[in-house]
Amino acid sequence: MISQAELDRFFERLVTTVQTQGGVCAITSGMACVQYGVASATKDCDLLCAADSAGQLLNVLRVTSLYGVGCAYRGHLTPPLDPRWLRGGWTSHFHWDLGDAAAYLDVFGVAPRASSFWITEAAGTLTGMHIVAEMKRTDRPKDWPFATALGVKLLEDGDSRGWLHIFDVATLRGVFARVPLPDAQIAQRPSLALLRDGDPRLELAVFGETVFWQTLDRLRAQVYQTAVRSYFQAVKKDPQADSPDLARQHEVRVGHAERLLPPSPLRDYGLERLVAEAKAKAGGLLAAGALDWLPDATQNFVGLE
Amino acid sequence: MSNEKPDWLTPETLTYLREVEYRFHVRAFGEEMARVNFLPLEQRKQYLYDILDHARRHGVKLEEPADEETA
Repeated sequence: MISQAELDRFFERLVTTVQTQGGVCAITSGMACVQYGVASATKDCDLLCAADSAGQLLNVLRVTSLYGVGCAYRGHLTPPLDPRWLRGGWTSHFHWDLGDAAAYLDVFGVAPRASSFWITEAAGTLTGMHIVAEMKRTDRPKDWPFATALGVKLLEDGDSRGWLHIFDVATLRGVFARVPLPDAQIAQRPSLALLRDGDPRLELAVFGETVFWQTLDRLRAQVYQTAVRSYFQAVKKDPQADSPDLARQHEVRVGHAERLLPPSPLRDYGLERLVAEAKAKAGGLLAAGALDWLPDATQNFVGLE
Repeated sequence: MSNEKPDWLTPETLTYLREVEYRFHVRAFGEEMARVNFLPLEQRKQYLYDILDHARRHGVKLEEPADEETA
């Protein structure tokens, strides 16, 4: 049975191979968190890949086997690894199925919730901490402590953007006792003004932020789930979708995607509409005033075309 | 971001931040994982490799990525 150490080395080699060929990609999420000092028992690899590097990555995947097993698209829902869909925020899913174990790879072109371009933040094989922390504002409560932990790490590195990621009030207060809180960070995250002013409504505001981001992520996913339905049915019915050849699997998916998969459903839906709906929905769950200090979340779709 | 360290980031402040950080890790992840998170990188990775491999050897069905996730 393949060991976790082998899996990690396998994915790191894969990324290095793409980078050596001039491709732009970087490991993010759980594997990056481990490197940054927040252990996550993750088995899969999440990868950010520049849309223009999709072809290079696909070529590497085509010739990369694991214990003699080739790479394949995972299931019928996954969009093709193609710049047109990567730019629209879709994620492509792959695996190497070893029978008693599997290696999973998820490829993003756009970092969800990023407020800056991930490419400028990447360091070596890893996505920068700031982007990883933004990606951790998911609809899953278990991801949030990772964001906070990375926020503190950023401050320890002297990067004041760490203030944007700390969602634990005790930690916020602890840090504030020694670390200057720049106005620029307050402008990006208005709830920090409550910390600066010693306002007891800070707890309510931070809770409101987390509920809002979780709701926004859920709604975002729903948009993609709705947009993928026709494509999914077409791929599922196509016997060539499960061809043993990755190139053929890809060709089949591109063919169906060109007819049935909108490249950028989130842009089609409207970012302002999405954010407004998340606010309305989160507001229904919270005490009055909890959403009065939200940031402008429309700024957290950088890279989405 | 500039690689220059800000003036406020003195060794004393860094030590203080590490204490705040450790207390958070204990609250959020528990004492054992807090300890692991403060290990040097190679030891941290080895700890994770050991627990994941142990779980697999004993038939634990590790969580698979959700197939319905598309974005």
